[in-house]
Parts: sequence; structure tokens; C-alpha cells
Amino acid sequence: MGVPVRPSRADAADMAARDDLPRTAAGARASVRRALAGFALAALALALACLLLGTDYALGQATLVATYAIAGLGVVLIVGQAGQIVLGQGALVALGAYAECLLAAAGWPPLLSLPAAVALGACGGAVASLPARRLGGLYFGMSTLAFALVVEEVLTRWTSLTQGAAGMLVPAFGWGGWRAQTPLAQFVVSLAALALAWMACRRLLRSRLGRAWRAVREDEAAAAACGVDLARAKSAAFILGGGVSAFGGAFYAHWIGFISPEQFGLMLSFELLMLVFLGGVGRLSGALWGALVIVSVPQLIAVARDALPGEGVGSAGLETALFGVVIVAVVLWRLRGEKRRGGSLR
Amino acid sequence: MSAARALFLACFLLGSLLPAAHAATPGVSDREIVVGSILDLSGPAALLGAPVRDGMLLRFEDANAAGGVHGRKLRLVVEDAGYDPKRGVLAARKLLQRDQVFAFLANLGTPVVMATMQAIVDAGRLHLFPFSPHESTYSPLHPLKFQMFPPYQDYMEAATRHMVKSRGYSRACLLYQDDDYGLEVMKGVESGLAKLGQRLVERTAYKRGATDFSSQIARLRSARCDLVVLATVVRETVAAMTEARRNGWAVDMLVSASGYSSQTHELGGAAVEGLFGVSVLPLPYADGAPPRLAAWIGRYHKRFGADPNVWSVMGYVLADLFVRGAEQAGPELTTARFAAAMERLHTDGDFLGSPGYRFSPQDHLGSRQGRLAQIRDGRWVMLTDYLE
Amino acid sequence: MLRAMLTFIQVLVSGVAMGCVYGLVALSFVLIYKAADTVSFMQGELLMVGAFAVVALQAAGWPLAVALIGGVAGAALLGAVLERTVLRHTLGQPAMGQSHLGAVLLTFGLGLMLRGGVTAVPAASHGMFALPLPWADAVVRLGPLSLPGGQLLVMAVTALAAAALSLFFRYSRSGLALRACAEDARSAALMGVPVARMHTLAWALGAALAALAGVLLAPITFVHLNMGFIALKAFPAAVLGGLTSLPGALAGGVFLGVVEALAGLVLPEGTKDVVPYLLLLAALLLFPAGFGARRAA
Repeated sequence: MGVPVRPSRADAADMAARDDLPRTAAGARASVRRALAGFALAALALALACLLLGTDYALGQATLVATYAIAGLGVVLIVGQAGQIVLGQGALVALGAYAECLLAAAGWPPLLSLPAAVALGACGGAVASLPARRLGGLYFGMSTLAFALVVEEVLTRWTSLTQGAAGMLVPAFGWGGWRAQTPLAQFVVSLAALALAWMACRRLLRSRLGRAWRAVREDEAAAAACGVDLARAKSAAFILGGGVSAFGGAFYAHWIGFISPEQFGLMLSFELLMLVFLGGVGRLSGALWGALVIVSVPQLIAVARDALPGEGVGSAGLETALFGVVIVAVVLWRLRGEKRRGGSLR
Repeated sequence: MSAARALFLACFLLGSLLPAAHAATPGVSDREIVVGSILDLSGPAALLGAPVRDGMLLRFEDANAAGGVHGRKLRLVVEDAGYDPKRGVLAARKLLQRDQVFAFLANLGTPVVMATMQAIVDAGRLHLFPFSPHESTYSPLHPLKFQMFPPYQDYMEAATRHMVKSRGYSRACLLYQDDDYGLEVMKGVESGLAKLGQRLVERTAYKRGATDFSSQIARLRSARCDLVVLATVVRETVAAMTEARRNGWAVDMLVSASGYSSQTHELGGAAVEGLFGVSVLPLPYADGAPPRLAAWIGRYHKRFGADPNVWSVMGYVLADLFVRGAEQAGPELTTARFAAAMERLHTDGDFLGSPGYRFSPQDHLGSRQGRLAQIRDGRWVMLTDYLE
Repeated sequence: MLRAMLTFIQVLVSGVAMGCVYGLVALSFVLIYKAADTVSFMQGELLMVGAFAVVALQAAGWPLAVALIGGVAGAALLGAVLERTVLRHTLGQPAMGQSHLGAVLLTFGLGLMLRGGVTAVPAASHGMFALPLPWADAVVRLGPLSLPGGQLLVMAVTALAAAALSLFFRYSRSGLALRACAEDARSAALMGVPVARMHTLAWALGAALAALAGVLLAPITFVHLNMGFIALKAFPAAVLGGLTSLPGALAGGVFLGVVEALAGLVLPEGTKDVVPYLLLLAALLLFPAGFGARRAA
């Protein structure tokens, strides 16, 4: 990791698991245990939610969580692995969503349209990161932010293709005669998509490129000295991250059923960033936990608000403020945790 | 992380221990009728969302104080989607499945409405009076969809035609917000002009949240427009008009119902004198109000701590239509009975100055009309009756 | 021809005025970036809160001038308190990668809290407010040219604020200490500069500048919940100016305002709003060397 780690077994296991890269046999076992425990807990939570919230509601929530997690995986690659900042990932989700919507409406089967959406997202990632590829760090944040605002404007203006601000209805996901219209079908499809994206990312992390990313993240000078082409490694992170986020965007379009440019604005970009930060930037599973928080916290706040006595509905700003409180609290909590661990923030 | 996981679980459990209503007709029990609304209380349309909610609340509380509808109290569950369709979808699911609402009232924002409407009617719930200019909220005819707001396209067409015919303009132009609202107004203005053998001489757009209109006004001026139609909201209306007057351009301007607000003249002052506007419901002016209206304004202020505006009136009037529909549907309230009652519902104007709403089995759009108004001496004055 | 000239000048002037507001917000971005090494995404909310504070104080019966000072000072205090209680926790983290991210997200979360807090006030969620600044409604006529007093006022106040800031940084003890901190925090600390206090000062100044921008924006867009969106335009201005240079930020703001206004006049429909971001992308692409000053090489 290139940072001082106190020689405690739990910490070592934790640090290893954070990269999803077992270093030692013990680390590997811990990592598997953690993953299993995580999925068991997720399954339990889902079952409980089904029981108590109503099956369709819980499945709908879980579908969105999985979809957000896919989009979040793209950010994990860029931020968590390559250590760069991205502030406009929402635009790449938008590219995926629009590509999928237009192609599906034109009758393309998902097997053709999904790769096209991913390719468009990857191109977007390349363009967004191009201006800052030699600067890195916060400058990527700026160029991706600017790119996102330009994309939003283009989607609004190119009315012959995107119907502009009036938005587009998205056909249901499916092929042949089958359509994913029940909450269960949508959940199964998005779970499969998440598994696919997850495996792809995992493979990537174990590859030469994945190692290069972590080297860049830890110490650029050292990485360059070891023969890593910095600009190329960074660009690759944005291209692949863009593709993954666009993949999530394609499903987002189907599940929401209506897309318009303003949905993919700055708020979405920040939600994705927050998502990986809350869940833990360094690991893939961070995307899933973060997605759970981002999707369910506003819902939980709404539910909790209903339970408050008296003036339930008179709380216009309360939910926004509470969401802000949750973000601040979790970020502080994570920062403190990192400080306590005595390592850097990865 | 395990602490965090435990926290999620705890939250899930906590949130779900609250009982959800179950009844034969969703949302209807012996004691109450639950109605849901997905509004924007924190996003770009929050200035609409809050007063609409308060207006609806006031009407429901009035009904409850009078003993409810056939003995059932009305309960409004409001969700904030912040104009974001993703949050809208989640809010709709919550209202459908957790709160088991009987009907959706006044969902706000085209993205939210388009993302949720299908799921709502598929679940067999009523989708009533959404704040969206989209045609699909009432056409093609659907047994569960009703709309009371005249579409921008229809009343702007009538208003443009009336203005051009009665005042003899020959070079009409348009300044519009580049979203679904602006586009709907543009369609109406274009078709109104086409019927008189004219077309738009110049059109220019701005982005929601734009601050400076000097270049747009300069563009319109160089096209020598003699009527500028504004598809703007309050702030942009004032900014555009101020910019023109400051440069000594005394062109006539006509704004859609979104700019018809008391804030337009409160903020614009002398610059907006003479502005024409279309109104689909009149503003509640406390000054010189008839006693019933004055009492209503007083109650609203006392209850919510702010003066009612035209959005509050809309919230109140649409909640009133709901109450009337529920009353006519009779004591055995079901979704089908309510829909049938709505299809028979004819109202006449009320003390707030609403037009009559007429629904029928063939037409679920209650009104297509607006009326012309003008700012004179710092307040809106009606010029015409509701235009056909 | 004369008509076209006049139009051109008028559009130019309103571009400069708008640019001054961008510039003030950009200044606040740069101040915070220099001191705390992070981009603050709550400047728009601070701007809105500051303007609302002035409106509220004035509604409470304070004279306008006192309300103005009170509102801006209140914003500064708010900035200082937020730094002391929340933002301080991002300090002491390595200034790369995720600690940037932590600070960025913290400011975003704080922004949501501020926004939610204001939204919860019924009067604020029901409408917009005007600030009766002196000369704002006046029109200055120079021959055939008529210039709005509000825009001239914006320019004058911006010039004053810039002058005051440069005096502060050149001659006052705290100003010099703040500059030293921004250049090299560790050496400054060794020289006896209270670095922590300087951080607080930077956030307070940043908040005050945003609030001042909010007040100046009031005659142009009125005071309402979404007025802070302007920070999205100020951000490219800060980057165009180099992100570390105070005069650069101001110049970047004015440049952006002018380009935007002229683009609306000359270029085809719809380009006006993209121009700032295209400029930003182009600047990053073409002149990366100009921005590398603070980058660890």
C-alpha cells in the first residue's frame, strides 16, 4: 500500500480487502469471509425489507441500488483505484442512458445496444479527461465538470435526436417477445448486470493496468520511475470508468422509463461521488454499500418523517438538510476512521 | 464497516415497523382517505411546491373541520422529489405500497410525472391534476387520469390570437425558457399566429437560471418586434421587461400564466407596467378583496406564516375538485365510483375566481381557457373573460 | 450603425457587471483553494444565505447599511464556525486524492444543510425578494447611451472590494500571514504564524466575499433559493484565472461575463450558456503550463 500500516492482523486484512486484492492467505480468507458476510447481510436486509415494506417496494429499491452501484463502480475505478477526481460522471451515465434509449427504440436487442452504450460512455470518458490528462488531480475534476455541463447542454439542444428538454420515454428492457416489466424481473436483470460489471472490474484490478493505477495513486513519481505511463494510465481509468458508468446508465434509463437532460446534472455526479466515498473508495463493494445509503437514506428520512408526531408535512427543507447532515456525518466519521488507522486516505 | 451494516439494518427495521394501511380500496378506510402528492419542495421548482402543498392542506383541513367527506377525514401525504425523476419513482412506490394512497394529487414537474404516471395508473390509482404541460396527462383518454390545468399550448394560442387580432401586431417574437414549458408555449404561439397567416419573426431562448438578458433583448430589438411573447417565469419576466424599458424600448409584452404572479409587479415595479399576461386562476389580492376571499387569505396566513400566492390558489382549487369528486362518489368510495363521479363533475366559478371545470366521459381535461390580464398601477387587472 | 454600436456597448457593460459578480465568487473560490487546498462547493449556498440574511435583517427593521454589514459579517462568522467545527477535520490529511474529495463532499453536504435550512423558512420558500440598494434603479444617461445604475454600482463595489483585499494582503499582519500560509504552511508555522487561525480566516473571508456577491446580485436576479447556481459559472472563472491568483480570478470573471454576453449577441442561439465551459476545457487543454504552479511536479 505504500503507507505505514500498523502490524495488526485485522488492519492488514482490512487494507488488503479494501483493494479486493488478497495479499496473504490469511488476507484472502478474511476477504472471502468479508464478502460472504456482506452478501449474506445484503440478502437478509432485502428479505427483511420485502417482508416489512412490501415486496414490490423493496425489489424496486434494490433494483435502483444495483443500478447505482454499477454507475458507482465506474467512479471507484477512477477515484478509488487511479486516485483521480471526477466531478462529472453523471454525464457519462447520461450518454449510456440516451444511447440505450435511442437504440432500444430503434429495435436493437440489448446484446447490441448495451455494448454501444458502453462504447459511447468510454468515448465520453476519454474526451472528458483529455484536457487534464497531463495535470491530474483536481484538474480532472474541473475538466470532467465542464464536460458534463457541455453534455447537458448538447442533450438539451440536439432536439432532433434527443427531443431536448421535453425528454424521451424509454421502451421496456427485453428481447424477443419478453419484457422486464415486473419488479422481480427488473431486479434480476439489474443484479445480473451488476454481477457482470463487478466481475469485469475485478479482472481489471488484477491486471497490469490495475497495478499501474494503484502505483499512480500511491506515488506518481515512483510509478513513473517504474515505467508506468502516467497520462496513459489515468486516461485508461476515465475511459473504462466511463464505460462502466454508461452501462449503469443504460439500465437506469429502462427502470426510470423517462429520461431528460436535467436528470443527469451536477446532483447525480455528486451523488455518485458521495456514494463511493461513503461506501469506501478503495474497494468495489464500496459502490454497493454507498448505493444503498444514497438510494435509501432519503427514503428512510421520508419514512421517519411520517412517524414524527404532528406536523409531518410541514418540513419543506428538513429532508434536504437531513440529507446534508448524513453526508457530513458520514464523511467526518470516515475521515476520523482513516486518521485513527494512521494511514493515508485510501 | 460492520457497524455501518448494523446501522442499515437497524434503520430498515425501524422504518418498517410502522404499520401500513390495508383496505379493500387502497387508501380508504372507515375513518380516512389517504391522498398522496409528489411535489418539489427543495429543487428548482420549490417556489411552486411549497404554496401548492399549503393550498391543498388548507382545503383538506377545511373539509375535515366540516366533518370530513362522508365521515372520512382526508389525509395528505407529501413526498419531496426535488424535480428528480429517480426520487419521484421511489416516492411513488412508497406512496403506492407503504402508504397505500387512494389517489395522487398534483404531482409536480414533467420529468417526475412522466417517470411515475404509468406505474401509478398500472397500480389502479387515480392520477389527478398534475403540474405538467404534457398532453399525456389527459390524452389519450384513460379512466384514471384527470387534468384541470389548461395546457399552455391551448390558452397561449387563444391569447396570442386575441392579442394580435384586437391590437393589430404584425411582428410577433418569442423569448422562451429552453425546456418543455418553453416548447409548449412556442407551439401555442406558432399555431395561434398561423391561424392569422403570420409566423414568429424572431425567437430566442435562455437557460433556466439565466441571469442576464441583455443579449436576448438586443437580439429581439434588432428584429424590430412589435409584440414579444414571454415563456418565462417571474424573475425572467421582470428581468426581460426591465432590460427592454431601460434601453427605451417600449414594446408590448405578453407573458404566459407562469409569469402571472403578484411577485412580477412587486419586484418589477414601474418597469413592468403595461405587461400583458394570461391567467388561468386569479391572484388573491388582500387589498380590496371581497369578505370571503379576505377571510381565506387571513386563514392561510395564520396557518402557514406566509401570504398565499397564485400557486396556493391552484393547490386549494385542485384539492377542492378532489373533495367535490369524493363527495359525489357517495359513501361507498371506490376508485371506479370516484372516476365516474369526476366524469360527471361540473363546477361553476368559486369565490377564488376559478373558471367552471367541466369533465365528461369523453374529456378528462377540465378547462382549456385562460383570460387576459394586464399590470396597471402595480397590480394585475383582468381585461377579458376566459377566452375560448 | 449607431444603434448597433449602442447595443454593443450596453451588452458589453452588462457583461462586465455580471462578470464582476462572477469574479467576486471566483475570488472566494481562490482564497479557499489557496489556504485549504480544496474546492468549496458551498459558495453558492453561502451567497444565497448572505443575501437572505440581509433581506431578513432589513425586514426586521434595521437600516439598509447596517443590514448589509450585518449580513456580510454574519456570513463571515458562519464560514468561520463551519471551519472550526467541521471543515477542520479534513486538515492534516495528505493533500492529494481522497482528502480533497472528503473536503469537497463536506462542503457539498454543508451546502445542502444551509439550503435546507433556508427552505424551511416559509417566507423564503414562497417567493423572491428585492433589495432596495441605492442607485440600483437609476439610469445613467450619457448622450444616447443609457446605463443602468445597478450595473455601475456592481462594478464600483467590486473595485472597492478588490482594492481593500489587495491592501489587506499587502500591508496587514493577518494578510501577510495568510499569504505565507498559502505559499507554504509548514514554513509559516515554523515562523510562528498561527496556521489554524489563518485557515479560519480564509474560510471566513471566502464566505464574506460570497455574501457580498449575493448582495450585488440582488438587483440583477433578486434574492431567491436558487440564486446560488451562479457559482457554477464562477468556478470556470476561477480556473481560467489560474485558480491560485486573486487578480486572475477577478479578471477571469470579468472576461467570462463579457464573452458570455457577446456570445449571446453574436453567436447562434444556445451557445451562450456553453461558452464558459468550452473556454474552460480549451484553457485546460491548451495552456496546462499556466495552471501547474501548485501542482506537485
